[in-house]
Amino acid sequence: MAVLWIFSETTASTKELLGLGRELISAVGGSITVLMGPDGEGREEWAAYGADEIILLPPLADGLAMEAHIPVIAAAAAEEKPDIILLPATARGREMAPRLAQRLDTGLCSNCVAVRWSGGDIEMDRVVYGGAAIQTVKFLTRPVMATVAPKTFSPPVPEEGRSARLRELPPLAAGTVPGVRIVEKREKRRLARDLTQAKVVVAAGRGLEKKEDLALVEEVASLVGGEVGCTRPLSEELHWLPTELCIGLSGVSVKPDLYIGVGVSGQVQHMTGVRGAKVIAAVNRDENAPIFAQADLGIVGDLYEALPKLITALKK
Amino acid sequence: MPHIVVCFKWVIDETYLRRAPGGGLDFSSVDYKLSDYDRNAIEEAVRIRTALGGTVTGITVGPPEAAKGVKDALSRGMDAGVFIADPAFVDLDPSQTVSLIAQAVRNHVGPFDLIICGEGSGDLYAQQVGPRLAEALGIDCVAFATQISLEGGTLTAQRRLEGVIEVVTAPLPALVTVLPEINTPRIPGVKDTLMAGKKPVRTLAKGDLGATGGPRLQTLAVRAAAMERACEKFGVEEAEVIRFVDALKKRGVLA
Ligand SMILES: Cc1cc2nc3c(=O)[nH]c(=O)nc-3n(C[C@H](O)[C@H](O)[C@H](O)COP(=O)(O)OP(=O)(O)OC[C@H]3O[C@@H](n4cnc5c(N)ncnc54)[C@H](O)[C@@H]3O)c2cc1C
Repeated sequence: MAVLWIFSETTASTKELLGLGRELISAVGGSITVLMGPDGEGREEWAAYGADEIILLPPLADGLAMEAHIPVIAAAAAEEKPDIILLPATARGREMAPRLAQRLDTGLCSNCVAVRWSGGDIEMDRVVYGGAAIQTVKFLTRPVMATVAPKTFSPPVPEEGRSARLRELPPLAAGTVPGVRIVEKREKRRLARDLTQAKVVVAAGRGLEKKEDLALVEEVASLVGGEVGCTRPLSEELHWLPTELCIGLSGVSVKPDLYIGVGVSGQVQHMTGVRGAKVIAAVNRDENAPIFAQADLGIVGDLYEALPKLITALKK
Repeated sequence: MPHIVVCFKWVIDETYLRRAPGGGLDFSSVDYKLSDYDRNAIEEAVRIRTALGGTVTGITVGPPEAAKGVKDALSRGMDAGVFIADPAFVDLDPSQTVSLIAQAVRNHVGPFDLIICGEGSGDLYAQQVGPRLAEALGIDCVAFATQISLEGGTLTAQRRLEGVIEVVTAPLPALVTVLPEINTPRIPGVKDTLMAGKKPVRTLAKGDLGATGGPRLQTLAVRAAAMERACEKFGVEEAEVIRFVDALKKRGVLA
């Protein structure tokens, strides 16, 4: 029997964590608790998705960020001793989880990509050395804590007719108020489409000479019904494309049917984000570029020669 | 004038990792480097000191060989280093690293205004030391900053979250972790390297600090990530490109 807690700020990641949670709990029995902000928005759904209990956190004063929930969650966890606590590996989760783990004096597996039971212990996999290796860990302390890589686990199939207990946590009697205050919040421009859901991704790399040449990559992408992504130098150094389109360790992971890297060398930090692609293709003029060792198909040649021909061939 | 503490780590350069027969990792030809993310942390500390005055103290935990990393970090403009060294300080649990750094900061570094950490380390990338250290020292924490400034005892930071940018303030002392886009780290010149050798480094041994507690996680295995695929290569001539498109269609990934 195990008691599993989930804290997440978005509906999508709560569903993914419930998917993982149900998989874990169904193997050993136990219950799942979802902790959420005081408005309880969307909580009706959680029972169907596998929550047995919903805990509403006390309201936060104006200007306080989500992290201000840490003292209350830590105190409740210290008192109730859940076996497992999961958070999403979003920016917020990656800040809150280690802070909670420190308060609970326990171990944390960051950005876990696979989970399994092994003889009564939980084992988790995570990506290390810039994507070159996978580390498997087990936990020597309780609670077991992890942040879970987004889009790694599927939401469970909802089951109608399930219900969840509801309870509220009171504010801490002698809580210290954190000093961090939000003074401004800006929504980032939402991209029209989601790279992580695309069936085909065409990634532009440093092999492009100038920003205007992205038009070639965009044309290939539109002909195959795909989206354009890029390597980090294009988004972070040249600022030709928004950060959201950077694929890899410090960007997003994609799982398309087809990935085509154009003028991409194939460094591990980028390739770790495309490993899930069914077919990996490359266009690169250097036949010794590392990407060819990690691709299924590759055109060895200048992209300025290859892409126009590719566009013609695709139009046929 | 602010006293800024920067944390950094001397890590395996993953470029030299090879897959060993049997799927493990071959560390035989590895080299080490100053973790890339920490270069941004150091640069940011030095940038603030250049603007406001004050001092930058760098701190690291590692085996004696990491002395090279201390020198590398000093060549990037820090004023002084604290090196917590022991042959056993390899692959520590983040909680153990934090315990050592927190003790050193409390007992050997003196009052500080700001601690800057990289967003994670380039090797194990657990992204835990920064946020855990803030808790251990009981100070405010702002993670994943893309811009920071100090004024009148207050930190102002812009941080990047999914779908939203938040600008936050926090009273000093505080801890901030920074994203690579915050700056472009300098490349130290010969003069910087020579000067680094003259800067003060305080080395702390295991015995100078208290216990850290045991590890909280146990590593069961580290396997090379399976990346190799059998690449079919094509030329750039028209017929070859058509053959390439046909091959994609055959695999059912093109409509
Ligand atoms: C801690 C850390 C995290 C990182 N995270 C990421 C990440 O998340 N995502 C990421 O992408 N990178 C990341 N990087 C950077 C990564 O290591 C590489 O530097 C980057 O992916 C290289 O981008 P690139 O392939 O576009 O450029 P390059 O490595 O410069 O490669 C350009 C390629 O284009 C080819 N080329 C040049 N001209 C032509 C032409 N005319 N026709 C055809 N081919 C041509 C060249 O042969 C070369 O192979 C990270 C690095 C570090 C240290």
